[in-house]
Amino acid sequence: MNEGTALLFDEFATRYRGGEGPDVLEYLERAGDDREALAALLDRYLQAVPTREPSEEEVVLMQARLESEPALLVLRRRRTLTREAVVSALMTALGLDPAKSDKVGGYYHDLEVGNLDPKGVDRSIWDVLADVFKANAQGLAGVRPEPPAAPAVAYMREPTGLQAKLESAAAPSAAPEPAESDEIDRLFTAGA
Amino acid sequence: MHDARDAEDTRLLEASQFGLLVESYYGVIIDRCRAKVRNDAGAIDVAHEVVARLLAELKRGRRYRVPFRVVVHQVVKWKAQEHFQSVKVSEELERWLWRASTESDESLEADAGFEALLEGLSELEQSVIRFHYGDDDLDFQEIARRLEKTPNAVHQIHYRALEKMRKDAA
Repeated sequence: MNEGTALLFDEFATRYRGGEGPDVLEYLERAGDDREALAALLDRYLQAVPTREPSEEEVVLMQARLESEPALLVLRRRRTLTREAVVSALMTALGLDPAKSDKVGGYYHDLEVGNLDPKGVDRSIWDVLADVFKANAQGLAGVRPEPPAAPAVAYMREPTGLQAKLESAAAPSAAPEPAESDEIDRLFTAGA
Repeated sequence: MHDARDAEDTRLLEASQFGLLVESYYGVIIDRCRAKVRNDAGAIDVAHEVVARLLAELKRGRRYRVPFRVVVHQVVKWKAQEHFQSVKVSEELERWLWRASTESDESLEADAGFEALLEGLSELEQSVIRFHYGDDDLDFQEIARRLEKTPNAVHQIHYRALEKMRKDAA
């Protein structure tokens, strides 16, 4: 183990006991060829000291996995917000034409269920969502539920709840295709 | 160091608040899985298995005679091992969980807690690690003053201690 790795470990431990949630993978990357040594030390340290509080994103991420639901949907439910309330917040914060709220709702639905590439979504949308949810919505938007294992019996005809959700999510967008792209399209897809 | 945490865990267990109990460990479970698996997708997969197993055991009535945090760390260890070996370690894990729920054996807690961090270190190294990473939370300057050493000597002792800890963990 080189001295730089010892310094990295010390920096991680200082931040951890200060109540931060330093990113383990980021530290391992910084350790370069010495990442095995740092990983062993971090693992040992994490077992020994009091655990930190999980972040909201981590809670949502794990709940989404346990419930087989898209993470953004789980986040919204944890905030006890309706989809309409989120859309309304987007309309107001971005000063959008009220006549286009259905279109924004369609795009938001697609984003929430994982049917819209988050990479295409404009920074301003993420900023509003971060404010509404008080969490990193952008980081969670790309997290979709794990697909279920193939059914054990070939004659099983009814889709499972999760299969139905995924099929629904994979269905064509509810948002109507405009003849010309407008500001809403740009906000939700321009970066794609 | 862990007293407050263990007391809160006991309260949540007695109130059958299993979801909240396990949720409070999500952070460290994900951190340890990242340290062991070293990629995010794989780490989250393992963390999910750990959480699902912990919840399943609690919901079917399993209670432990060791602090719950010890159980969490053991399940992380076994599930990460399973991930790498591509073999089920369920029998060994089941045996450990059964022992933890029926025996008050201190060896079950051997890997957990701050004292485990100090194993194999000299007295001086233990002092430096305890002062710096323990409840005292002292910087190297202050440790040097307390141990009547130069700051550079404390840095050297610290480095040697970390090297031993790493070798022991490997």
